[in-house]
Amino acid sequence: MSKKVAFWIFMIGTISSALLFLWLTWDTHRQVEVLSNADKLSPEVVAGKRVFEKYNCNDCHTILGFGGYYAPDLTKVVKRVGEEGIRYRVTSPEKAFASSSRKMPNQGLTKGEIDKLVAFFTWVGEIDNNDWPPQDSSRRLTRGEEVMVASAGLSPGAAVFQRRGCMNCHSLHGKGGSFGPALDAIGRKLSMEKIEHYIIDPKAVNPKALMPPQKELSQKETEAVARFLANLQ
Amino acid sequence: MAYRSQKIANWYFKIALLLFVLQVVLGLWLAFNYSFTVSQGVVDTFSFATARAMHTNLLVLWMLLGFMGGTYYIVPEETKSEIYSPALAWFQLITLVVTGVVALVGFFFGWTQGRPLLEIPRPLDIVVVIGALVFLFNIAMTMIKARRWTAIQGTLLGGLVFLALLYLFGIPFYKNEVIDWYYWWWVIHLWVEGAWELVTAAILAFILIKLTGVDRKVVEKWLYVELGLFLFTGIVGTGHHYYWIGAPRYWLWFGGIFSALEPLPILLMLIDTMNHVKERKLEIRNPLTWTIAIGCAVLHMIGAGVLGFMHTLPQINYYTHGSQVTVSHGHLAFFGAYALLNLLVFYYAMPKLKGIDVYDPTRGKIGFWIMSGSMTLMAVTFGIAGVLQSYLERVLGMGYMTAQSYMQLWMRVTMVLGVIFFAGLLVTVTDLFTLRPARAKNK
Repeated sequence: MSKKVAFWIFMIGTISSALLFLWLTWDTHRQVEVLSNADKLSPEVVAGKRVFEKYNCNDCHTILGFGGYYAPDLTKVVKRVGEEGIRYRVTSPEKAFASSSRKMPNQGLTKGEIDKLVAFFTWVGEIDNNDWPPQDSSRRLTRGEEVMVASAGLSPGAAVFQRRGCMNCHSLHGKGGSFGPALDAIGRKLSMEKIEHYIIDPKAVNPKALMPPQKELSQKETEAVARFLANLQ
Repeated sequence: MAYRSQKIANWYFKIALLLFVLQVVLGLWLAFNYSFTVSQGVVDTFSFATARAMHTNLLVLWMLLGFMGGTYYIVPEETKSEIYSPALAWFQLITLVVTGVVALVGFFFGWTQGRPLLEIPRPLDIVVVIGALVFLFNIAMTMIKARRWTAIQGTLLGGLVFLALLYLFGIPFYKNEVIDWYYWWWVIHLWVEGAWELVTAAILAFILIKLTGVDRKVVEKWLYVELGLFLFTGIVGTGHHYYWIGAPRYWLWFGGIFSALEPLPILLMLIDTMNHVKERKLEIRNPLTWTIAIGCAVLHMIGAGVLGFMHTLPQINYYTHGSQVTVSHGHLAFFGAYALLNLLVFYYAMPKLKGIDVYDPTRGKIGFWIMSGSMTLMAVTFGIAGVLQSYLERVLGMGYMTAQSYMQLWMRVTMVLGVIFFAGLLVTVTDLFTLRPARAKNK
């Protein structure tokens, strides 16, 4: 092989790859409009992206899997912890993460800023991104959910318990979060009605409760999860 | 040293080394954040996010200064002429360092663009661009005035222009998060797997010619083949970052196939380096320089080639994406490919700039082996943490912090390795600042 042949290998390799890449870029631009619901990119959502950047959230959290790995991914955060869950964590991280071994800074966001942030996360959560991340995938139950649903006698409440983010704070059989108490035998302490009431308005049942009201749950979901928990004795 | 204006390179090298030390100090602080609980009060004033922004921007800054210094050293020898304007080289160095310092202090006070690795605020971006343009002008003018073109300087100039152009895609505000990440990777991926590889290949080729005395024609021929493969696989290979961002599904195919080929040029570079060393026509005068050259080729292959390849297939990446597996790959790839390349340049050029023909390699050897050993082990411990995270959080569906609690032990081990790395780095930096001629018995 002469130097001239080598030079042409270089030129052809580079140019062919670059042309293919530019063509795919053009096509991606076209398709992203649909995949990301670009029509729903309201000024509120764009303002939320600016808030997200202003407070450098992305150097601890990942979003769409990119960023810092120090804190949970935010792609499906609305689905996982709910709008109220986001507000609570951003407004009072010192309370939300009081018993966590990792803290989140309180950056003093205004209520308006948090509204925009929530709008941004809601929009991001709707992006059609090949069902990533797996732990928040809605297409299938995770292995943990399967095990739990099976062991609880296929209760729909068990599925709600996992899918709606209860386990971010509470644990069952040692699996789940540690901000809130373990709920392995919660049925011994509280009746189904009490649990239902607690989920809707925690402070009304226990004035010292740190748990935010779970406004995202439908009435049916609340009932199902309360029935499931009341049976844990 | 054959040309007076090469001396400027020394300042680039020295500042780069100091920034490298600072980068690792912040890295240790990040590891501490993973290993132990940091109180709310500390987190409120100096968050992980701020420290991470500093750690990564210092990396980019010191490596770019190293590349620029290397270029200022190499171009006079390649063109057989003095640098067009040493004053501009000074101006550019001062501009970039001042911008860097302002950016770092700014991060502390929350002045940031808020996008990972591209945190430098937009007004400062403009200063960076001016600095880069001055640099390119200076280098291009040197080459044009000398009217002497080699494949090495062409590659070097091409890589640097490409590098500067890509930076521009990181400056605008993108309304759509998907498009934002799409172009973010034009900067990050096309830098490290495109433009930086060009610069690295050119510098490595230059040093190999000087060290081995192998015919320039042979070295430059293989340089072309490597570059062709780097860019062929690397450009469309950007697609391995587009699997889960909301881009079309075909990226799973394009990204998967092209990036599966990405280790090939690195492997070729490794074989090529070994061959040149075997067929050398000159005697080995400074064995450490050779050790670093081979260490660079080997760890480049393991860190970038093997570890990158391992989680680039969509089926695996679905679970490992955005986990500590990425961190494992990132650390060894950057260290192997770019930190060692820079150290190779420093160990090649700094003794010459000081007028030392054969330098005493004792401390340098200690530093090299401590750093390479501890960084390789760090890739292993980050990797274990990452596999745990992928399995516990992504496969089993455990909560984020529950999964993290199982990883904590490995992050602590990483921190210990980080301290060892830091010790090796201090030995290396001290050695480079106080190089001495080898004792007479070596002669």
